[in-house]
Amino acid sequence: MAGKIRVVVAKPGLDGHDRGAKIIARALRDAGMEVIYTGLHQTPEQIVETAIQEDADAVGISILSGAHMTLVPRILELLRENGAEDVLVVVGGTIPTDDADELKKQGVADVFGPGATTSEIVDFLKGAVPV
Amino acid sequence: METLFAGIPLDEVSTSMTINSAAAMLLAFYLCVGEEQGVPRSRLRGTIQTDILKEYIAQKEWIFPPEPSMRLVIDMIEFCAQEMPLWHPISISGYHIREAGSTAAQELAFTLADGFAYVQAALERGLDVDDFAPRLSFFFNAHLDFFEEIAKYRAARRIWATQLRERYGAKNPRSWLMRFHTQTAGVSLTAQQPEVNLIRTAIEALAAVLGGTQSLHTNSFDEALALPTENAVRLALRTQQVIAHEVGAVNTIDPLGGSYYLEHLTSELERQAYEYFDRIEQVGGVVPAIEENFFQREIAEASYRYQSEVEAKQRIIVGVNRYQLEEEQPLEILRIDPALEQEQIERVQAVRNRRDSAAVEQALAELRRAAEGDTNLMEPIMAASRLYVTMGEMCDALRDVWGVWRETPVF
Repeated sequence: MAGKIRVVVAKPGLDGHDRGAKIIARALRDAGMEVIYTGLHQTPEQIVETAIQEDADAVGISILSGAHMTLVPRILELLRENGAEDVLVVVGGTIPTDDADELKKQGVADVFGPGATTSEIVDFLKGAVPV
Repeated sequence: METLFAGIPLDEVSTSMTINSAAAMLLAFYLCVGEEQGVPRSRLRGTIQTDILKEYIAQKEWIFPPEPSMRLVIDMIEFCAQEMPLWHPISISGYHIREAGSTAAQELAFTLADGFAYVQAALERGLDVDDFAPRLSFFFNAHLDFFEEIAKYRAARRIWATQLRERYGAKNPRSWLMRFHTQTAGVSLTAQQPEVNLIRTAIEALAAVLGGTQSLHTNSFDEALALPTENAVRLALRTQQVIAHEVGAVNTIDPLGGSYYLEHLTSELERQAYEYFDRIEQVGGVVPAIEENFFQREIAEASYRYQSEVEAKQRIIVGVNRYQLEEEQPLEILRIDPALEQEQIERVQAVRNRRDSAAVEQALAELRRAAEGDTNLMEPIMAASRLYVTMGEMCDALRDVWGVWRETPVF
């Protein structure tokens, strides 16, 4: 359907903590977005492939394993290599503040930590994705 | 494993290992260290988690599909029943189910349903219930709702004892007893005003002790942010020591038994658990319920409801949706040196280079062959472990035979 924001919610790496990713996926869907949830144990390559195939406006990456400084830059790099750098990348999880700052410098649109509400994430995406 | 236990006599310690899909290999490595130290299997004491069902339900660290995974678990239970009388081959876990977002009643019901599924599978293997049930152990969460949590532990004991005696015909009273470990709720920790987590954890720990837990893990106050610092871990330990030595909480068993409120809550949770047992039964049992996403859907519903209550401020979380600070003090957190990964990779490479590679290949071929048949896999896994076959290599061999599990996620 035209005009709907398309979001891929992704869980990279071996991290099995999917509580947050599922809550976000459902909240975005309830807010009227098209949500594709990748499921667990995805490689950066698989996530970028899904984002491109699904013609996503945004990718939401959920990481609670501590591997964000390895996985997120790799996803950004792959998006650029595939000419998909216009896809908005947001990250959620247990990300220390200085890591969040570094990821934003590298091109992540925003980082949502513990305590972030679903409504602020919905509002952010609605504001940041041109429809 | 040798490096980890160098200088630690295995007959003088009890060891707990949190490993599930590859539990059989880790147990075999531990047994190998015992062999090197001259400690017989019969004297090794400890617990290994092994609970694969809750992996499909909640923690999501699986490798193989449910059926061969269950076989591996029962192989371990059988092996331990025959060879390791002081070992707990499984810790049937509600902790992760709760962390994934379940309610207390769901944690109770799903964990016990998993427990009954293991009992049933072991009976189908031909084991006598009294030969293995006394070594089954459990692991529960200690969440914030103080009285509900205490009632949950009491209901768990009551259901287990009744079912083991009446449904499974256990005659040894030790088979009726539920032994359980408890950990305070990781999900209740907040990144905002993290020192407040010390108070949450203390109250959760007290509920576990009043509910009669056999062992306890208190989380550190900085774990919503990162792995804990040493100072935070020490404070978590001191929390237990205050409860153990200062406040008299351990002076009697079941101190709240007889309280009208606690008894009511216990019966109510018990009733809800039996309702869930019926629903699981209707789907065909635990494994079919996993395959149909029954548990995953129930948990996702409950966790979404919880989050909605927090955002609507129907559920107050101090420092998060009320009593916030404008300016949070930055907290010093633990950083892990990424070079450690490389060092570990090099250690594994060095071990591989020292091995007899023909013997390794043969051991892996034996393991594959055994997996295709129906003999107990513990001895072929032990044989491979003695030759320093790695966990990854053994899992690859089993993947060749059994394939891997993929879930269809629901949200």
